[in-house]
Formats: sequence, C-alpha cells, structure tokens
Amino acid sequence: MSKMLIDVGSTYFKVCDEGSISHHFRNFDKDIYDDLLFKCGDDIKKHKKEEIQICSSANGGLSTLIIGLTESFSLKYASNIAYNSGINIIETVVYSQIESYAIPSENLDVVIVVGGIDSVETVFDKTLINYLEKLTYSNIVYVGSSTQVEFLEKNIEKLVVLPNIIDNKLKMVENELKEYLTNLYQADIMGKEDIKRLYELTSNQIYSTPYIVNQSLPFIHTKLDVADPFIVIDIGGATTDIHYSKDLVDDNIITDNEYDRLVFKKLGVYKSRESLVHTAKNNEFVYELLAHLNTTENMLDSKEEKATKLLMQLSIFLVLYKISHHHKSYLNIKLDTLNSIVLTGGITKVLDNAEMEDIISFFYKKLLHFNITPTLVVDKDYEIWTLGMSR
Amino acid sequence: MSLLQRDREIIVANQYVDNFDFAEVEEFIKNANKELFISHKFKTHKDKTLVQPRGGFPTFDKMYSLYEQFAPVVDILPMTIDSHTRLNDYGSAAKMLRLSEETETDLLNGYPLINHGYRTTRKMVTHFNTPVSLRHGTPDARLLVEMAIASGVFEIEGGPITYILPYSKNFPQDKAFLYWKHVERVCAQYSTLNEPINRESFGPLTATLVPPCITIVIQICEMLLSLEEGVKSFSVSFAQTGSLNQDLVTSKVLRKAANKYAEKIGVTDATINLVYHQWMGAFPRDKFKSDSLIDIGAMIAGMVKADKIITKTRAEAFGIPTKEDNAQAVSNVQYTLNALRGIPTFVDEEEEENLSREVDEIFEAIFNDSADTLWRKVFNSIKNGIIDVPFSPHIINNNELITVRDKNSNIRIYKKGKLPLSDKSFKYEQSKIDLGENPNSVVNQIIHDIGVML
Repeated sequence: MSKMLIDVGSTYFKVCDEGSISHHFRNFDKDIYDDLLFKCGDDIKKHKKEEIQICSSANGGLSTLIIGLTESFSLKYASNIAYNSGINIIETVVYSQIESYAIPSENLDVVIVVGGIDSVETVFDKTLINYLEKLTYSNIVYVGSSTQVEFLEKNIEKLVVLPNIIDNKLKMVENELKEYLTNLYQADIMGKEDIKRLYELTSNQIYSTPYIVNQSLPFIHTKLDVADPFIVIDIGGATTDIHYSKDLVDDNIITDNEYDRLVFKKLGVYKSRESLVHTAKNNEFVYELLAHLNTTENMLDSKEEKATKLLMQLSIFLVLYKISHHHKSYLNIKLDTLNSIVLTGGITKVLDNAEMEDIISFFYKKLLHFNITPTLVVDKDYEIWTLGMSR
Repeated sequence: MSLLQRDREIIVANQYVDNFDFAEVEEFIKNANKELFISHKFKTHKDKTLVQPRGGFPTFDKMYSLYEQFAPVVDILPMTIDSHTRLNDYGSAAKMLRLSEETETDLLNGYPLINHGYRTTRKMVTHFNTPVSLRHGTPDARLLVEMAIASGVFEIEGGPITYILPYSKNFPQDKAFLYWKHVERVCAQYSTLNEPINRESFGPLTATLVPPCITIVIQICEMLLSLEEGVKSFSVSFAQTGSLNQDLVTSKVLRKAANKYAEKIGVTDATINLVYHQWMGAFPRDKFKSDSLIDIGAMIAGMVKADKIITKTRAEAFGIPTKEDNAQAVSNVQYTLNALRGIPTFVDEEEEENLSREVDEIFEAIFNDSADTLWRKVFNSIKNGIIDVPFSPHIINNNELITVRDKNSNIRIYKKGKLPLSDKSFKYEQSKIDLGENPNSVVNQIIHDIGVML
C-alpha cells in the first residue's frame, strides 16, 4: 500500500507521494480543502482514503494561559505538558502575584489551573475567581491539589477536573492532562470548517505537525547524520518550534519523551514578521550580526526578498539566543554540549547551508566564544516529517 | 561509514579536542603493550587480588607525581576525573585547570582529561606502563571514553544506572542508557584490536544501606547491557556492607548470578571479574578506627577472593587524601592481603539461598517487562520501582524501599516498596529485624545504621 503524506502548514502544503516531496504555496483566498484539491487533486485521487495521512499546523494550534502556584513545579510541569501536546502558551501566571498580571485581550482556548500536592489545603481563594471572570476562554481545566476541587467546582462554570499533575513525591503526572489537551486539539480541528473537510480525504486521524515531528526524533539518525544531544529548529511561517534532547536542560521533570518541545509564537517570518523585527531591534547583539552580514537595520523594514532572507537569518540567531543562558526564560538549553543542530521548515527553502552555518558560527563565537560549532544538518527534504508520518 | 562511526566523528569534533585521529588511535591500541591492559593483568595474576587506590589531580605535573608515588606499590593506577568534566562542562574545567597551574593550588577535584588531551596523557600512561582505570561518574561519557582509550586507559568504570542513580538528580535515565550503549560499542570495537578493554560497574551505588539484592541486580543489568554489545571483559563490584557475613554471601551470589544471567543471554566467552570496594559509607574521624576498618576490608577482599580491591585511606573523613596517605593505605592493604593468602572462606547457606531467590525474583519481573529491548526493560523497571536504590537523589528513583541493619549489622529490607519480592523472601528479611519495643524508632535506627562505622 503506497502512502500519500500531506502536511498543511501556515504558508505551504507539503506533499509526499511515492517518496517524492513537492511544495505548494498556499492560496489564502481559497479554503484549505479547495486549494489542496486544486493543486494536488490528481495525485490525491490515485489513493484510497486509508492511504492518505494528513498532519496540520494550519489551525494555528490552541492557546492557553496557565495559572500555577510556583514557577519550579506547577507552572513548569503544566508548561511542559502543554508544549508537548502542541499547545501555545500565551501567559504563565504565578498565583501569588496574580493581581499584577495584565489580562490578555485574546480569546483563550483553554485555561489551566494547577498548584499544590494533594495534601495541601487552602491554595486558591476568591482572587482566582475574580481574575478568571476577566478572562475570555473556551475551556478551563483544573489539575492541582484535590483539596481545592470542591471550592473551585462551586465557583467556576464548566470546570473540568483531572488528576493532579504533581504527585506526592513532586513528580510530574502527565498522561491525563496531555490526553485532554490533545483531544481539545482534535476538537479544534473539527471546529474549523476548512480543516474539518480534510477528513473527506482521509480515514486516518489528523495530527498536529509538531507532534509528528517530535515522535520521529528517536529515529532521526536513520535518516540524517545527527548525533545526540541535538536540537531541531523548525522555523515556519507563523511559529518556531524547538525540539530538544532532554539532557540539554536541568529540569526536575520526567516525561515519557526523549525529546521535549518548546514554541516561540512570535518569531515566524511571515505571519509574525512585525514581532520578529521588534524582537530583533531590541536584541543587543543583532547590530553586530547585521554588520557581520554587511547590512543595516533599515533592511529589516524593507519588503524586498532580501529582507525575508535576512529575517530568516535573524530568526535563527534569536531562537538560539532565547534558549541560551544569556536569556532567562522557561528553560535554557545547554548549547555548549550540543553535538548537532538540525534546521527544518520553510527556512530551508530560502537560505542555503552556508548562510545558515554563518549565523550559527557567529552565535557560537560571539556568545559562547567557541571556534567549533555543532554540526549543522539541514533537513531540506523534510526527512523528519516523512519519518514521523510514515511511522 | 557505520552509524556508530558517524556519531563518533561528530562527538570528537569538539571545541576542546585537538584533531582526534581515529586511525592513529587504532594503530596505538593495536601496538600497545599488554601490560597496559587490566584484562591481561587479570589473566596473568589469577591468584592475586589486584590493588587499586583512588586519585586524581588537576595538573599534569601533580598527576605524574601521584603516579610516581603509586607505581611501585599498586597494581592498577587510578585516573579520577574532575566534576566539571563529568558534567561535560569542559569550559569551566579549562578555566580551573589554568588557575590551578598558575596558582599551584588544586582547584579541580580530579584530572580534566579532555583539556589535557589524549596525546599528552598518553605519554604519562605509557611511561608508567601499568594499567590505568578511569573513574568518573559521567552520565554522557562518550567523548571522555574516546579520550581515555586514546590515552591508553583500558579500563572504563561506570554505567547507565550506577553513574546516574547515585550521582545525578535529573539527567534523563533513558538518554543515559543510550549514551552508555554507545560507550559499550566503542569498547567492544577496540577490544578486537589487542587485549579486551575492561568495563567495570560501580557497585557501591549510594553506599548507604543498599541491600545486596539491589546491588547484585544492578551489577548484572549493567553487565548484560555491556556484554550484549560485545564487551568481552567485565567487572562486577560491590562495597563493604558493614557485615562480614553479608559480604561473603553477596560475593558468592553475585559471581554465580553473573555467570548464570550472562549464559541466559547467550554469552559464554566473556571474562567476569569481581571487584571489592573498601567501606564507602561515612568514615570514622578517629584514624585508628579507620585503619581497623580498612584492614577488615582488606581481609574480606582476601576471603571473597576478589580479583581487585579499591582502597580507602585513613584520611577519608577529612577530605581528599594526599598521595602519601594513599601510598601508605595501598602498602598496608598489600601487606594484609599477602599475610592472609590462603585464608579459608565460608558461606551461610540459608542467607545465600534467600539472596539468590530475591535476585531471581527481581530479574523475573525485569525480564517480564513488555519492552522489546533489554535497556528499556531495565529503564521501565527503574521507573516502576522494581529497582529502587535507597537514598538515590535521582527523581526517577522510587524511594519507597526502606532498609535497616539487624543485630549482626546485615542490611535488611524493612519496607519493600515495589520490589517484586515473594512473601517468603520478604518474611525472611522481616524475621531478622528487631527494632526493640518501639516500632516507630525506625528513623532513629536508620540514622544509627548510616553512621554504623563512626
């Protein structure tokens, strides 16, 4: 049985039919189903529904806000589960300072409330309820101390209660929340008419693209010259995903994955171009990088094709910067112990290897003072995606 | 090019490695003097317990001078690696090495092998022409092991369990299994060129009330993982438990079970050695008591006919021993072992039967795990608490196994957690425990038992 693999991205369709991969720039005036049929209809018709596998990142993923008691346990655990379920985190709120947080203006797909082990009492009070009343959200799930369930169920409508994600030994319990979030993702696909119609083409489940990529990583060495520990940087049109080997972080988390995922929502070259430019202009090293590339900041605001290329180079740099120890964030990755960096996504279609290598080498020299950089592997033919889909 | 070789080439292309030359290293190993191989020394000194101290200094000069002091009295030289290198932080090791050289103060707790490089280190190792053992504690030792073997260090200690559960809080256990699988393959590949590279597991674990059944199971798991990759010389080890009887029983069951399980996976051509560590727990501050404890350790090594003993010094309670302390300890141990030649041994059959049964019960559960590879079966068993190491700091460890000493100082299982022991085995353990009239005194008992040698 020959499989046909389709990835619906925010800017491209990627189609793998009998081992050969083609790309089709999306027409945003058409809905996804019509556009896909227009471009690949003949090939699709050659296959039965069960031979077609589709994954998608085009519905943008779900957005979440997490309210937790501590950075080191509840927020860290919930963030890890959310990222690995393909969910984008809009904000994490430390409960003790909840009143100082701005209220996000956007509609949140899900709010996650977490905190305390099961023996802890009086964790949440009216302050939480007041804060939640100001948010706009579609779903809310509680995964904290069981002692709080009664109070929260009484005060929060449509609250879904799942087992605590922190057990009594402070270990993470991920399965129930992960399953809930993955199901929400499916429900979200089904709720989006143009993606829902893709089920007319396949009898298989449509997964999120980051999930597919993540699942393929333990087998990546069968396709690419990669040595552990490595990171995969998937720079697409809307978001940038990092998949990293778990030994690259110092975390108190046990997960079933060998590789975890992190998302930067605002470093995409097309759909989040403005925020990428803004981030670049505020980075202390970017001006030196621009000089190194023999250009100036004016190019960042230009609409020329050259500017897109430059933005892609900057996004590689900014991603590395944001996960390095130069920038305090949800997590820092030990870039000094990396053996390989894999670049994939739309970026590989625009930049050549030397242009990507140049940025990585600049980063390592400038910020880590290294002359030797990890080996760069460019997944131009989307081997990782094909591997994940095939498996 | 094989996947293994491709990985190796990526790994040695490191900021801190100066042109690693695989072909030259292979040539060096092919032509290396057999005296550098501990596997050869085990073969040629069958009736002797080889003596190995501990030790490692940051600078080349100090390391050289340590070896000068050791060489006349030891059978195996140690190369203890510093903590930064153990964590793959070669940048910090480089800084501290430079400062150590400039200030003539030891700012590292071991030898930073990556920073010294294999060409320099090899000069020292080949000069002394005595086997060197690599002692580290590194979860990802792939680069370190390449550098060690290229230097002429042909014994590699460690493993994916024994260098994780006692040492690390959160290095991913699954990654450790994969990284050590790489190490085993490298050792196996080099073993075909000359005498075998010897792999050694680290039996003491946390050195705190670890029951013998856990020590034995973990030793054998690491041995099997090594043998299945083609390693031909392996040392299982354990540390002085604080009970002479338990040490004798442990050694006998460990030897028997190691051979039995090696055969079970179809390996009959590997040499399995037994290594004994002198007391690894809290050491007395009274140096005369320390001497006594060390003498008892030497005597037990003689009684269990260990292939190698790893020594401690009377300065243990006070910090890193000087080379003089070490040389004196080695000399005393050699003297005791010589004096005890031919010492008879005995075994408590009831204890042996119970311990063998416990080991088999745990292995039955490990082998029954549904995973398709041995490493994943062992990994799942650690996650599920089938293997549980008392006082391990690692987040994956189940920490439900509680042990205390009985009136004869044997380590007994008080609460078995998720250890798959039969009622018969567990009842036997329980029958030996006497907490006096107050059963709530278990915490005090544990505190007492940890400091039993003080």
